[in-house]
Formats: sequence, structure tokens, C-alpha cells
Amino acid sequence: MTEEPPLVEVSNLRVRFHTPTRIVEAVRGLSFSLGREKLAIVGESGSGKSMTGRALLDLVPWPGEVQADAMRFKGQDLLGMSGEARRRLRGRHISMVMQDPKFSLNPVMTVGRQIAEAYQLHRKAGKAEARDRALAMLEDVLIREPSRVFDLYPHEVSGGMGQRVMIAMMLIGEPDVLIADEPTSALDVTVQAQILDILEKLVTDRGMGLIFISHDLPLVSAFCDRVIVMYGGRVMESLPARELTKGQHAYTRGLLGCLPDLDRPVRRLATLQRDESWLRGG
Amino acid sequence: MGPGSIAVRKLNVRFGEAHVLKDVSFSVGAGESFGLVGESGSGKSTVLRVLSGLNRNWDGVVEIDGNPLPQRPDKAFFRSVQMVFQDPFASLHPRMTIDAILAEPLAIHGLDQPDRRIERALAEVGLDGGFRFRFPHQLSGGQRQRVAIARALILEPRILLLDEPTSALDVSIQAEVLNLLQDLKLRLGLTLLLVSHNLAVVGHMCSRVAVMKLGRIVEESDIDSLRKQGGQDAYTQELIAASRRVALATA
Repeated sequence: MTEEPPLVEVSNLRVRFHTPTRIVEAVRGLSFSLGREKLAIVGESGSGKSMTGRALLDLVPWPGEVQADAMRFKGQDLLGMSGEARRRLRGRHISMVMQDPKFSLNPVMTVGRQIAEAYQLHRKAGKAEARDRALAMLEDVLIREPSRVFDLYPHEVSGGMGQRVMIAMMLIGEPDVLIADEPTSALDVTVQAQILDILEKLVTDRGMGLIFISHDLPLVSAFCDRVIVMYGGRVMESLPARELTKGQHAYTRGLLGCLPDLDRPVRRLATLQRDESWLRGG
Repeated sequence: MGPGSIAVRKLNVRFGEAHVLKDVSFSVGAGESFGLVGESGSGKSTVLRVLSGLNRNWDGVVEIDGNPLPQRPDKAFFRSVQMVFQDPFASLHPRMTIDAILAEPLAIHGLDQPDRRIERALAEVGLDGGFRFRFPHQLSGGQRQRVAIARALILEPRILLLDEPTSALDVSIQAEVLNLLQDLKLRLGLTLLLVSHNLAVVGHMCSRVAVMKLGRIVEESDIDSLRKQGGQDAYTQELIAASRRVALATA
């Protein structure tokens, strides 16, 4: 059996923003590789987890600057690739579900047409076929009346439904790698479980690679295979998801410690004590 | 019933054809913390909107401090019942300084010594005076939610209505805000009504909880018996299972 290159390889990724007064370092030296698995990137807001996803897709907004020793998709060098080539990968091979459906869907186009458009673009398909596929996709993400929802505008759907529309749109191109940025944080627990089942199935059945960006530690510990814990653009710790609770780093322990637990009532919640040295060390 | 108590009997709300609250009844004693849980669309936020006087189309009986709530409450009512909203990015006016945001309720209610009151309100939520003349965009999510709490408390209310006050925040910030709310409740003797979809948060903050589904309260229970015996209703059990499933990881 020949060795298959990992789906994604990133080595020493840095994302910087040059502002008039200073340089903001969003990601400082991140390295990881992704196979056909569920990799979680966790951390608080501002830890650089979303920027990592955007850097892979070449979607870091101006004036951001991306540098890395290596960044490869299935062995192809992403850094040396033209903008046009990166664009062809986007959506078709690597796609990203953004955090907030309110701001990520086109407000003046029905959600069904947006999903069908994605299919037409990536698959060079006709209109009727794209419509059928979009309806099937809406059904796959557990939307009860796909033909009714197809004709709704984004402002007419709830947050949870909007999130599922986004997931449908990103999956219709059948990408090899899906980056999901807080895909379930707007959903109710029951719907959340269903969406996770869909993602799980795609990873096991189709061999998709999933990068799951989240700040919900218990959720990723239960759902993902591996976890990278980020703080201030740096990796604090990388470990198997099931062993997240055995994490050694003070930051991981701090994050776990401040969660309320139904079965272990405490009078006061522990708060996170941050340490400057986390940003300096390796 | 004493000041700060809430009693709701057979509360019904309709928006056109949609019947969003169906015979909702519950009561909260003065100084108590009561939780409302349920999935989105179950009507929990609508209950808060009725209690805060934001929704004026309702049938039934609502009593605050033992006095019936009229459909059009007067100014004094709004002073005694204040609300903190879910999203601190949307609930603060982007072009007003923190000072102006906190001064507005004082001007509306004609309270004296605005300067002293603003200083005290900021100190109460753990923000130093340096925040007073900043704009919301210069603050982090946790700091903004502290400002929203300060704006509610500046009128010295008896009742604080909290609509998912920490679901937009990181867990580390959530812990800080929940601790702050606990401290304020004890110090000021507030009655808290907390709406959340997170049973663990409600369990931490409240002594009793009502579970809502499709506009009805399907179960009301104290947290201890929910913890020990589980819920009666299928939906309650599902919620408990969901919060245990994620809590399992920290075991």
C-alpha cells in the first residue's frame, strides 16, 4: 500500500496584521497535519482558531499577512499556488462553514438558490439538476419541508436553520476537507446532536477530513479524535480528544475548571488565571 | 407577597395565528433565583418580554410585588424590573459612550446625582472608572455584558430578568459573569429570573427551574430533585441527558 499524503499539512503558520500602531500576531507558529479524521481546534475568542481556518482557504482579510514554512493540501503546495488555483480548491475541495449564518448568507437570494448555485459552480451542472441536489441536501441536514424552505430568504429562517443551510451549501460540493467554525453553537442541544451525526457520517463514509473550530471543550472531547488547544495564537497543548480532561497545561485545566456542572454544584465557579509566560514559551 | 416577587397565572400570548404561550403559570418568591429552560422557539424569551413590559399583548394574570401588572405599566414599574439581553454586541448603542448609556435611564427616571450613581454602578460590576468614557467597540464581550448589567442595576431594581446572559461569551468569561451575578444577587437581595438553554448554567444559578416546550411549561421542579431523580417529562430527561453527555467529559 502506498503512503497517502495527509489531507492537510501545516508547518509554522503565522498570521500577522499590520496596523498603523503595531503588528498584531493572530497566529504564531502553528503546525499540524490532518488525515481522514476529526481534528478540533479549541480556544477562547481571539486565540487565532478562526484565522487558522481562513489562512488555509486564503481568506485572511486585508491587511493580514500569512507566512508558513509549509502549507500543503494532499501534497500540493498551497503557498506557491496562484490565486486562481486557490479559488478552484475553495468550496470544491476545502470548504468552510462560517460561524454566523446571519452575516454569511446573501440576504437578497433565497437559501435554496444559494445552495443550488454552489452546486452549479463546482459541478458544472444544469439548473434542474442543481435544484434537485439542493433539495436532497436540505433533507440531509434534517430540514423538515425542504421545498418550502428552498424558497425562503435568509431573514425568514431561524438561526439554527440558517446554520444547517450553510452546512448544506458547504457539503454540496463534496469537499475532501471541511473546516467548521463553531457550526453548532447557535443550535439547540437536540439539533446539535443531529448535525454532529451528519458530520460524523461524512467523515466515516466518505473519508472527509474535518477541522472543528469550537470553544466548547466538553463537546469536542466527546465528538472529535484529536484536539489542539490554542491561546493567543499559540498551541498550548495537543492531545487525543478523549484525554482532554487529563490535559496537563494550566490553560486547558483552567478552561475545564470554569465550566458549571449539573451534578457537581459549587458555590462559586473557578475563574481562569492567565499567565504571560504562555505566550513566550514553546 | 413581598417586594420582588413574581406570580404568573394562565399567561397566554398570541402573535396573529401563532399561539406562543399557552396557560403559563409559575411563581417566584422575593430574593429567589428561578430558571426557565427550553429550546429556541419554546417561548421562554416571550415570558421575559411580558414581565419586562416589552410585550403588551397578553392575557392572564401577572403580579409583581403582589400587584397586578397592567397592560401599559407606568414608569415606576420599569424601574423595579430590569432586563439583561443575550448579545452584548447588539444591546449597547454603538455611538454612545458607556457614560451616556448609563446616564440615559437616570435621566428618564429623573434620578439625582447621576455622576455618583454611574461611578457606583461601574464599580459594582467590577469595571474601573477608565471605562466610563469609552465606546462599546473598545470593550470585550465580557466587559460589554458587565456594562449591560450595570445599566440594569443603576435603577436599583428588585427583579433582574436575564435572557441567556452568558451564551455569547467564552466559558472563562461566563464563569466571571455568573459569579458577578451571584454576588450582586446576595448583596442587593435581587430576584433573578434566568432564561437559558444550558441546564448546567441554570443548575448553578437557580434553586428552581421550569422546563418549557412549544409554549407550555411541561415541568417545574427544584434543581436538587432534578439532579437526583431526573425529570418526569421526556423532554426534561432529554435536556438532562444532553447536559450529562457533555459533562461526562469532565468526570
